[in-house]
Amino acid sequence: MDVLPGLLQGAAVALTPINLLWCFLGVVLGTAVGVMPGLGPPATIAMLLPLTFQMNPTSAIIMLAGIYYGAKYGGSTTSILLNVPGESASVVTCLDGFAMAKRGRAGAALGIAAIASFIAGTFGVLGLMLTAPPLARAALAFSSPEYFALMVLGLAMVVLLAGTSLVKALLAMLVGLWIASVGTDLFTATSRFTFGHSELLDGIDFVVVAIGVFALGEVLANMESGHAAAMLPVPTGLRNLLPSRAELKACRFAFVNGSVVGFLIGVLPGAGSTIASFLSYGVEKAVSRHPERFGTGVPEGVAAPEGANNSETGGALVPMLTLAIPGSATTAILLAALILWGFKPGPLMIQEHPTMFWGLVVSMYVGNVMLLVLNLPLIPLFAQILRLPAYILYPVIFGVSIVGVYSVSGSQFDVAMLVGFGLLGYLMRKLDYPAAPLILGLVLGDSMERALRQSLMMSQGDLGILISRPIAAVILALAVIVLGIPSLRRANAWRMKAIG
Amino acid sequence: MLRALVVLLAVGLGLPASAAGQGFKPSKPIEFVVHTGPGGGNDVLARFIATAMGKEKLLPVRMQITNKPGGGGLTALAYLVEKQGQPHTIGTFTGVWITTTLMRAEAKVTVKDLTPVVRLALEPAVIVVKHDAPYKTLKEFIDAAKGNPGQLKQSGGSIGSRDWVIRQLLTRHTGAQWAFISFPGGGERIAALLGGHVQMMVIEPQEAGEHIRGGGMRVLAQIADRRLPGFPGVPTLKEAGFDIPIVPVVRGIVAPPGAPREVVAYWEDVFVRLAQTATWKKYLEDNQFEDGFQRSAEFGAFVDRFSEMMRGLLREAGVNVVR
Repeated sequence: MDVLPGLLQGAAVALTPINLLWCFLGVVLGTAVGVMPGLGPPATIAMLLPLTFQMNPTSAIIMLAGIYYGAKYGGSTTSILLNVPGESASVVTCLDGFAMAKRGRAGAALGIAAIASFIAGTFGVLGLMLTAPPLARAALAFSSPEYFALMVLGLAMVVLLAGTSLVKALLAMLVGLWIASVGTDLFTATSRFTFGHSELLDGIDFVVVAIGVFALGEVLANMESGHAAAMLPVPTGLRNLLPSRAELKACRFAFVNGSVVGFLIGVLPGAGSTIASFLSYGVEKAVSRHPERFGTGVPEGVAAPEGANNSETGGALVPMLTLAIPGSATTAILLAALILWGFKPGPLMIQEHPTMFWGLVVSMYVGNVMLLVLNLPLIPLFAQILRLPAYILYPVIFGVSIVGVYSVSGSQFDVAMLVGFGLLGYLMRKLDYPAAPLILGLVLGDSMERALRQSLMMSQGDLGILISRPIAAVILALAVIVLGIPSLRRANAWRMKAIG
Repeated sequence: MLRALVVLLAVGLGLPASAAGQGFKPSKPIEFVVHTGPGGGNDVLARFIATAMGKEKLLPVRMQITNKPGGGGLTALAYLVEKQGQPHTIGTFTGVWITTTLMRAEAKVTVKDLTPVVRLALEPAVIVVKHDAPYKTLKEFIDAAKGNPGQLKQSGGSIGSRDWVIRQLLTRHTGAQWAFISFPGGGERIAALLGGHVQMMVIEPQEAGEHIRGGGMRVLAQIADRRLPGFPGVPTLKEAGFDIPIVPVVRGIVAPPGAPREVVAYWEDVFVRLAQTATWKKYLEDNQFEDGFQRSAEFGAFVDRFSEMMRGLLREAGVNVVR
């Protein structure tokens, strides 16, 4: 692929006033959808789809893609300000983002999220542009055994997410794995833990658990203390609304880490942005010089997952555009849209429709700039939410949570479950159980079990398939190293003490 | 807010127009129930139909999509059954209702409770292997499977899905055995085949077409009664020597239980006219679907036959059939 002529051709398409307008419309809509918990990009794109039949297809994909990556910018807002994850990939952002808000650095956290999103989002497009076809083929080497290894590596991150007690973190993770097992077994089509409720046949939606455990649990715990009249310190003055030089400097590695991890995970059709954000947070903490401060509001704990989440978009478009293989709900609906517009997605699409591909690529560079310009001025505005007194803020969080959950499925059963998980979140806080491992187990449990059973079906029951394939073996070895990190650190501290 | 925006725009499209009315004529917006969330196969179809109805002025009112995902399709089924006696509600049919209610004790109602309206389209499929696979015909693949029992693999959906049914029918017919590995997403199934991790899959012709043109896949046979326009040189299952029932994915329209005859007649008429429009024909052609139009009575009989075949296949496969 010739990059320079391609870019020029793309610029001729994407920089026309009408396409700039569509791009702007897409990213604004995307930001709005991202800020609102619940209703996500796939639903939004599907609902707008009929309106695009009258449009020029290239303009249409520019706008719909804008919604896709725009939503990722917005997803961090409620995570940081309210501890309500706007989407699954923003759960990790709650850990340090909300902790930063508690320290009065809400504005800085939002700023870092926006900057990380911009850097990594741009990196994702760069990766898409330069490496798409060969990388998509390389990603095909990944199959069930490799995905299993990747999920194990993800689960091993639990030792990095643990607070004071590793045992409590592991217990929380097991509960998450159990929740993931509720529903229909894909391979035998039998029901698991449904207790006769057809509502549980498809399993428990991740959003219900995450919003319940994080947002409702947090609100319940805060209401108890009674004196939370001013829950969070409100940042005032421009200096407090934007990240400081020191904070940005601390994020240098996180920007790179988020960009690379997010893009690579994005290219794999079976992984997804949630895993990307957890992995990138784990990497950041594993290499950090002060891992003990993660979870108390370190800026790199926001930058890494938010970056990964955005860079994943560029990655996820690689298999979709080059091989017509969708890796997520959003790319699946974009693919359906391409067919409806008369494109034939597949290995030849980029060659045959260079205008569409390059127009999209250039529009994504432009869109990311638009999002940065759009999101930075919004920070002071959003930060004003924290001015609300507790007796207004808590009901607002409750309302946003319930609307968010109801908008996904339109099911009152889910709302009832949300309340149940809110109580669970409250109990976990009271008993000092960390919530992130539960979410980790929930996110990875389903795919991990599936990948393991698929692997064993491939090998006719021989567990050797997990270590005889080189990529899987390397990833499993990495998982073992991650599991060893706490002991290594302890040994190191003990040695230092002995020397000192 | 967004939903409101979409609705507003939809109102703009759905201009009032003439419609054949003998006895029943809709007087308020039609609720169009879909069993998946936005973006699922039936959802995309339903949104296309709603837009086409407005564009072709076939309905005096607009259609509003109601997504009732969850419960393996049962949530939407139960919702439609609850709408008994309401002529302004219809839904898209899904074969999932047949398999799920056969396998699930949780189901309180079945597809038999609904009123069939029309069958619209049949989605055929093709059997493909990777481009460099040693099998040139389906018979060679079957022979290889016989020679290496359990060694060959197929990527597919879950139990009861169309590709699973094809595999059950083929293994019963030939005595060959191969592994069926379930992947929840269509993309993962294709990735597993192109990566060489499985040897065969059943795929929609539209999806396969580009991979064949791009040199990634080879078609062995097509699961269709007649050769599809896109694959003139590929034998149908019967022509390839495997006389098994053709199992299409069925798209159609249903109404709540016990819909009055004049309501069914009204909807039959509207969809007959939709099926004759150029917009609809182009939709079928773009997606390589077959026109499978049937009226209410025929469609009902078809669903019964299909249910009986599924019951037999599931029992044979050792799945617990609950009703």
